[in-house]
Amino acid sequence: MTASTLQQVRSIASDIFGVPADKIGAESSPETIENWDSMQHLNLVLAIEEKFGVQLEPEDIEQMKNIGAVAALVERLKSAAR
Amino acid sequence: MAITIQPYRPEHEPAVEEFNRRLQAASDPNLVFYKTSAPQWLPKLADCPLYNEYFVAVDAGIVRGAYALKHERVFVPGEGEIAVACYHHPLSEGIVNRTYAAVGALMVRDALLRQPLLYALGMGGYDHPLPKMLKALGSSLALLPFFFKIVHPSRFLKEMQALRTSALRRILMDMGAATGLGWLVFRGAQNAKRARWPRPLLRSTGVDVSRVPEFSDWADPLWLRGREQYRMAAVRDSATLRRLYPAADRHFTRLRIQRNETDIGWAVVGERRKDSKYGSMRVGSIVDCWASPEDAMAVIEAATRELEAQEVDLIVSNQSHLAWGHALERCGFFKGPSNFIFAVSKKYAEALHPFAENSRAFHITRADGDGLPRNF
Repeated sequence: MTASTLQQVRSIASDIFGVPADKIGAESSPETIENWDSMQHLNLVLAIEEKFGVQLEPEDIEQMKNIGAVAALVERLKSAAR
Repeated sequence: MAITIQPYRPEHEPAVEEFNRRLQAASDPNLVFYKTSAPQWLPKLADCPLYNEYFVAVDAGIVRGAYALKHERVFVPGEGEIAVACYHHPLSEGIVNRTYAAVGALMVRDALLRQPLLYALGMGGYDHPLPKMLKALGSSLALLPFFFKIVHPSRFLKEMQALRTSALRRILMDMGAATGLGWLVFRGAQNAKRARWPRPLLRSTGVDVSRVPEFSDWADPLWLRGREQYRMAAVRDSATLRRLYPAADRHFTRLRIQRNETDIGWAVVGERRKDSKYGSMRVGSIVDCWASPEDAMAVIEAATRELEAQEVDLIVSNQSHLAWGHALERCGFFKGPSNFIFAVSKKYAEALHPFAENSRAFHITRADGDGLPRNF
């Protein structure tokens, strides 16, 4: 994933989870971020779709296990769309 | 291996049992999904549009989530009968283990793919996770009114645990019960409500009420006549009513209401399951009802009298339509705080447009959604 995509995803996550972006890294996950529950996971899905203009399939949603995985997913979807 | 959502089959039952055990151990003992894959309530029958279907989220053979869809038909003037589904009983391992935070989102989006005209009902209030998720997905939400009538004020004051939340309140409520002051206050308030409108006795208006053991064809003309007068109503023809309230189910009392020997409506009443917030009170409910809006008063009056005759301590009802709400208030009911939310998907909201404005003209009762087995 590019640094830019990771940075954008960290920013989105920061807004959703209410955690400063500099406290969110590629390894941040539901186990490490207190507010990352089912509701916020859905909000993350919707925010990613809106920000990057992509449609996430069920298998994509399930792969969003940490911020790094989300960024990698976004890169893959953007590449597929080109 | 990815989590897949698939129909709940007998081979999943052991895994669902384990799922339930994990949820109960880590959270609420009431968090259980259906133990059997075949629905006990409203199983699928040939040619019947009203039925339940269960789904499980499976991860390498382990169940991580489950939900149910109640398929049914509703009538919307201008659209006719349309097929919709109620999303109910969603349970996710994410509730107790955030590693599975994705499961809730997977399930609700899966349900929307299976039936884009999706709704949910009840849900405990706007601050609960499911209404929040549905709102995030673009659903339209409306809070449906809740009404109650205190039949035995002393019992209400002593037993209404939801109100007895401090030592001072408990003392005041006990005093009100012991002195009879509570009775005076409640009766005075109810009489003041009723005095705002004339309240004819049923008999003087030619209305006759009879208990019937089951619904039959007489209910069909009522359904056809009334359905155009609501902005939406779940189908309530005789075949549907026999499925919802089979004759073998003695838990409910079915009332047939006639005026001058012509059917004008019906009601189903029953006693609610015990609930700790009501203490040891017997709580009756006007579970379901049907009539043209102008006949709501006669039906509500009949239902109320039946429950009072059954000696319940408190009567409750959820009614979405303004006319039914007014009828309840004319019968001495008060409006209480509600947590009964009606949420519809984007696609369903298009059929009900304008949703917010129309929401007081829908006919929704406690019997809609998954309310029947949950509460009675």
